[in-house]
Amino acid sequence: MLKSIENIGAIVISSLEQTGRTFNLLLIVFWELLQPPYRLYPIVRQMYFIGARSLTLIIVSGVTIGMVLGLQFYNILERFGAVDLLGAGVALSVIRELGPVMTSLMVVGRAGSSITAELGIMRITEQVDALECMAISPGKFLIAPKLVAGLLSVPLLTMVFDFVALFGGYFVGVYMFGLPEGSYMNGMTDAIEWVDVRLGLVKSVIFGLLITLICCARGFYMHLGKAGSQGAEGVSSVTTDAVVMSSIAVLFSDFLIGALI
Amino acid sequence: MSTDNSQRNAISIRNLVVDYGQRRILSDVNLDIPMGQIMVIMGQSGAGKTTLLRCLLGLKKPTSGSVHILGTDIASASLREINKVRIQMGVAFQGGALFSSMSVAENIQLALREHTNLDEKTIEIMTRIKLDMVNMLPAEHLMPAELSGGMTKRAALARAIIMDPKLLFFDEPSAGLDPSTAAELDQLIITLKNTMRMTIVVVTHELDSIFKIADHIAVMSNGLIIETGTPQQITASTNPEIQGMLNRKPRETIVDTDTHLRRLTGGV
Amino acid sequence: MELTLKSETGFDLLALSGEVDMHFSPKLREKILGTLKDGKPLLIDMAQVSYIDSSGIASLVEGFQTAKSSKLPYGLLNISTTALQVLTLTRLDKIFNLYSSAEQFKAQVTTHAGAIQ
Repeated sequence: MLKSIENIGAIVISSLEQTGRTFNLLLIVFWELLQPPYRLYPIVRQMYFIGARSLTLIIVSGVTIGMVLGLQFYNILERFGAVDLLGAGVALSVIRELGPVMTSLMVVGRAGSSITAELGIMRITEQVDALECMAISPGKFLIAPKLVAGLLSVPLLTMVFDFVALFGGYFVGVYMFGLPEGSYMNGMTDAIEWVDVRLGLVKSVIFGLLITLICCARGFYMHLGKAGSQGAEGVSSVTTDAVVMSSIAVLFSDFLIGALI
Repeated sequence: MSTDNSQRNAISIRNLVVDYGQRRILSDVNLDIPMGQIMVIMGQSGAGKTTLLRCLLGLKKPTSGSVHILGTDIASASLREINKVRIQMGVAFQGGALFSSMSVAENIQLALREHTNLDEKTIEIMTRIKLDMVNMLPAEHLMPAELSGGMTKRAALARAIIMDPKLLFFDEPSAGLDPSTAAELDQLIITLKNTMRMTIVVVTHELDSIFKIADHIAVMSNGLIIETGTPQQITASTNPEIQGMLNRKPRETIVDTDTHLRRLTGGV
Repeated sequence: MELTLKSETGFDLLALSGEVDMHFSPKLREKILGTLKDGKPLLIDMAQVSYIDSSGIASLVEGFQTAKSSKLPYGLLNISTTALQVLTLTRLDKIFNLYSSAEQFKAQVTTHAGAIQ
């Protein structure tokens, strides 16, 4: 009994420590970003990695989600005789919720996991130490480009996702169920307001920062984790951890933002 | 005394203590490393060599004590001050620690690009000069993953000396290398000392290279430096532990049979 | 570090003094390349150099390559033993033309000019 209370205590303490380290890293990197020299190329390179190389995945999943939504909404709306609202339903759910959330989850799976693994391997092979010994800040050199790229890539990918998902819904509504094109488009444009777009955008920026931050911090600080999780096994366990943590963070903050804004 | 000392000693460690949680890794280490000479820190695995090296590099804050490197106390200095010292140091890590996303040349050039305003052409020539010194010129455009163990160490050495450091740290230069490659590296370390006037700190447990390169040897055991001296002095040491290391005897394991049996069975 | 450029008969003499390190070698490089651009043979006096690092040597090497490709005589004068050791380590002592007096270089320049005509 006492043992299990102790265990719970240890878990609470270590997760608090971890959260503290993660946000501390954000502050450090933010401060270092303000110091010259400013370099654009590393950010572009990371945007290529996080953004451009996730594009196919985002397009495929976007179209699929859009089509699924079209299908489901049609079935539901048909019962109430409100199929005219199909465009509005698909558009609102994509732009407000599914776009940012799904995009972020996809980026976590594709880019986030490899960010953690890369940083974890750099840590255990002394590459991070080597950088420090060259008087180069690992925060600025390794983490900052990834954070900025995440912050910029996720909103851009979300826009792509939104666009192709709306197209998927349109395809299902107009071509499969033969809805008149005008009613679908009008329903959509009437329903979407600037606040919806803004909400989606705010979410995607926050998610982008959150997932890259968590994935970076888990990999970068992997040596501070519990003893016995070093080496290759340690890298794989922090990578899994990072994916789980950032997915939860996305879903939870999605709720928080939805409730607050 | 102190000014005179700091002139002659590149590194001066006083009462260094490092704790890891409850465990004491280094207890009261004192060591002076003279300018322009090769100091080998030897000892068996777990003696605290790596921790001592990490303190010297400013990667580990000691629990107490001071570590003066080129006049700056690394143990109490700010990161900015530590980095000023680091510009004058080169480090070759045990596994090379080459950045896997960059070619050999890019690895070597990184510090120059970050810290100097040298022309691209100058950087290129400097890189090739260093690569030639370590006999790695043809490997310029290879990626670290394509290098053999010996090549990785040599590339790491080239990267460590790119800024013409006053101080060079080398962690286990010959570990995992065949004897001839190891001998080549040893020779290179001596040449660097002689021509570039570097102070070189080598951490190793390879006896062969220790006696070939060392001007001074510090022997570590259980978080303490148990003896320092020239290779001759160390060889002549009467300390049984040092004699054991030099004669490659396994650690003292003789216990009476009863105790041994109890250890194995867990006292059942 | 200080640089002084003097025009001798038939060649330029660039005298260096002090420490040639990473702060000054860009200046040295600029001076060497600038002088060679004018199409005159160049002799670099190293007698007063107390220390030269690899960026300085790299600048000398680049100058040599430039001189060679525009077929201009290029030499180092009175190189100190410390600097020579560094050159030897990098096998550059055999590449550079090393002189112990300006007259030697002058003779070289004259024969070179003769050969061209």
